[in-house]
Amino acid sequence: MAAFYLALWGLAAVLGATAIAALVWSIRRGEFDNLREAALSIFDEDEPPGAITDAFPARHPRSSRRP
Amino acid sequence: MTSASQPLPPAQDERERLTRIQIDRSCRQTVVWYYSSAVFWLLVGSALALLASIKMHSPGFLAGWEWLTFGRVRPAHLAAMIYGWGSMAGVGTLLWLQARLTRNRLPFPTLFPATAIIWNLTVAFGVVAILAGYSTSIEWIEIPPSTAILFGFCIAVIIAASIRMFRSRESRHTYVSQWYLFGAIFWFPLLYVSAQIFLHTPAAAGAVKAAANWWFAHNVLGLWFTPIGLATVYYLIPKVIGRPVHSYHLSLLGFWTLAIFYNWAGTHHLIGGPLPAWLITVGIVGSVMMFIPVVTVAVNHHLTMVGHFHHLRHSPTLRFVVYGAMCYTAVSFQGSLQSLRSVNEISHFTHYTIAHAHLGVYAFFTMVMFGAIYYVAPRLLNAEWHSAGWIRVHFWTTAVGMALYWLGLTWAGWEQGRMMNDPRIPFLDIVRFTVPWLWSRSAAGVLMTIGHISFAWLFWNMLRRRGAWLPGPTLLFWKRSPESLPEGAAE
Amino acid sequence: MNRAWLLTLGVLATLIASMTGLVLLPDRQLRPTAPVRDEDRDITLPAGYFGEAEEGRRVYMDLGCIYCHTQQVRPEGFGADLERGWGMRRSVARDYIYDDPPLMGTMRTGPDLMNIGARQPSAEWHYLHLYDPRITSPGSIMPPHRFLFDLRRSADGLPADAVRLPEAFSPGGPAWIVPNPRARRLVAYLLSLDHNYEVPEAR
Repeated sequence: MAAFYLALWGLAAVLGATAIAALVWSIRRGEFDNLREAALSIFDEDEPPGAITDAFPARHPRSSRRP
Repeated sequence: MTSASQPLPPAQDERERLTRIQIDRSCRQTVVWYYSSAVFWLLVGSALALLASIKMHSPGFLAGWEWLTFGRVRPAHLAAMIYGWGSMAGVGTLLWLQARLTRNRLPFPTLFPATAIIWNLTVAFGVVAILAGYSTSIEWIEIPPSTAILFGFCIAVIIAASIRMFRSRESRHTYVSQWYLFGAIFWFPLLYVSAQIFLHTPAAAGAVKAAANWWFAHNVLGLWFTPIGLATVYYLIPKVIGRPVHSYHLSLLGFWTLAIFYNWAGTHHLIGGPLPAWLITVGIVGSVMMFIPVVTVAVNHHLTMVGHFHHLRHSPTLRFVVYGAMCYTAVSFQGSLQSLRSVNEISHFTHYTIAHAHLGVYAFFTMVMFGAIYYVAPRLLNAEWHSAGWIRVHFWTTAVGMALYWLGLTWAGWEQGRMMNDPRIPFLDIVRFTVPWLWSRSAAGVLMTIGHISFAWLFWNMLRRRGAWLPGPTLLFWKRSPESLPEGAAE
Repeated sequence: MNRAWLLTLGVLATLIASMTGLVLLPDRQLRPTAPVRDEDRDITLPAGYFGEAEEGRRVYMDLGCIYCHTQQVRPEGFGADLERGWGMRRSVARDYIYDDPPLMGTMRTGPDLMNIGARQPSAEWHYLHLYDPRITSPGSIMPPHRFLFDLRRSADGLPADAVRLPEAFSPGGPAWIVPNPRARRLVAYLLSLDHNYEVPEAR
């Protein structure tokens, strides 16, 4: 049972240390630059920033009832 | 206001549009299966909720049947809502979000609907098992442990699809919603499987099982529902109003502090209980530290919305999502305060806690899911919602109903707790005091159920394409004529 | 933040860390807990559950009693549990070593039951209370559990544990309730709930 706990605490420590190392590594690599671009990544040419993409139904001048 | 009226290079325009249509089309079968199932369980869960609520103030109601006794109906309601409505609406939304964010088709178009069927059968099995007397009597996880295998299989398919879509994504950037969703799909199975192990094997014993119970239950809320909800808010608010998230730096901070602190808050359910003091204190510390991610997210969402609140008038999605996002802030602040010993001494074991729980799973998560379904379904089915009137009914009944629910039970619970701490007040006097407030909860519940029926009616008509037909996603083509559509875009 | 593996690793690390801290470490600390010895009565306490009481525990679980009743007495100065007579001392982890799973509960729509066996030692009281809680507790909102009993209108051939209903609750004439096996087991369990023994950690 002791070996089980040791393995788990060990694993937790290793993962924790890895997480911190990964954070430092990613900052160094420039992963945190250019965040503005990331925020804009959900938009595209057809739904650009500024375009409203939702409305209550029956507000569309050109939509028609299904034939 | 909109730049869609400016001319764009046609080739690029066509390609982008086609891609989004194809993405949404690839999600149709799967997400519609999951959403339809979710709506079904919403109705089942609402019926069980009303039953439980009525039985509390009128205990003789349908009391002759053992399978409908309050102690079984209440956990059946919980199971139907958590594993049925909440999780299935969540899965449908997370799959669509991931497809959109990675700009990839959703893979496994036959396997995924099969997982929806499996998930439905598992939930049905769980609910029936509880009513039949096989509840495990462990809160939030009353359904039999064998369900771990079934849910595990479905989640494995979700993880495989997520990784596949992520690896072949075209953008270098990973949007904030994607982090939350990755978190959710890895946290949930690990939580569920280890909880079943701790609770049903000698891996944990005695009082520690209670710690395992609340580690699990609180983390299902914080690491499964919350990330899906926040991912949805982070995507839909900017998408609907056409403004990027206010501060991407803040959203980074918000995610990692959530991941670190939320994990540790679980033992605040056991304050004053028979566990080591350090364990309880750790839970309180984790709960209070949650102020950081919550304030981060609140500031971010608010500053994104500021100056644009007028859009709430014309967007159903935005109404539900903003209501939900605000309630996320509210319930989290309340939760942090509730974990302080001085507050907990009064609120613990009372209806106050129930109000708080519903502020989280309903006012935050469920309302955000409603918003998501309002946005996604038209884009999958190429049809508009058939009635703005019914949408308004749905919004106002649920928004007002939830507010009444929370106000009634919060007041009742607080007084209940204060009186319970005064030993001169006979217990039955406290019970008598709460009864009118339990009636108010039933009234609120009726209002909310009317909302759910309206929603189910809207969804049913959406499935039958009763609304206005649109050749593309909502609002996208309203400046164009049907003839200008690229091939394959319609239907 | 664009590497999936970085994200996944961090996600798993946070969960395993909390699992270790909130479940594994407390388990390590509490697992060696043993029952205490009562020298006068020459027994160890808690005594665990046997026979009908053990089966009654499962009835308690399947009927969902935890949703209205707790089984944890809070410490002195934190709430009024002790002043209400719900126990002679606060509950400690040692009290739950044979509870699989512990039924601590989270709602007090009804009173705490940690020591209900000591507080209400009469099986008759429990049978009446379960049949219709308003018999013993006017104003109670606890659901009636009539399905745990058979109703008899005649005194002939009644078993020993049959209980006569008060007149106000038997309008059609004299009536007796006969507990069925599940009721007997449940009450045996409730009567076994007595943790009023001394433990070193809660003097």
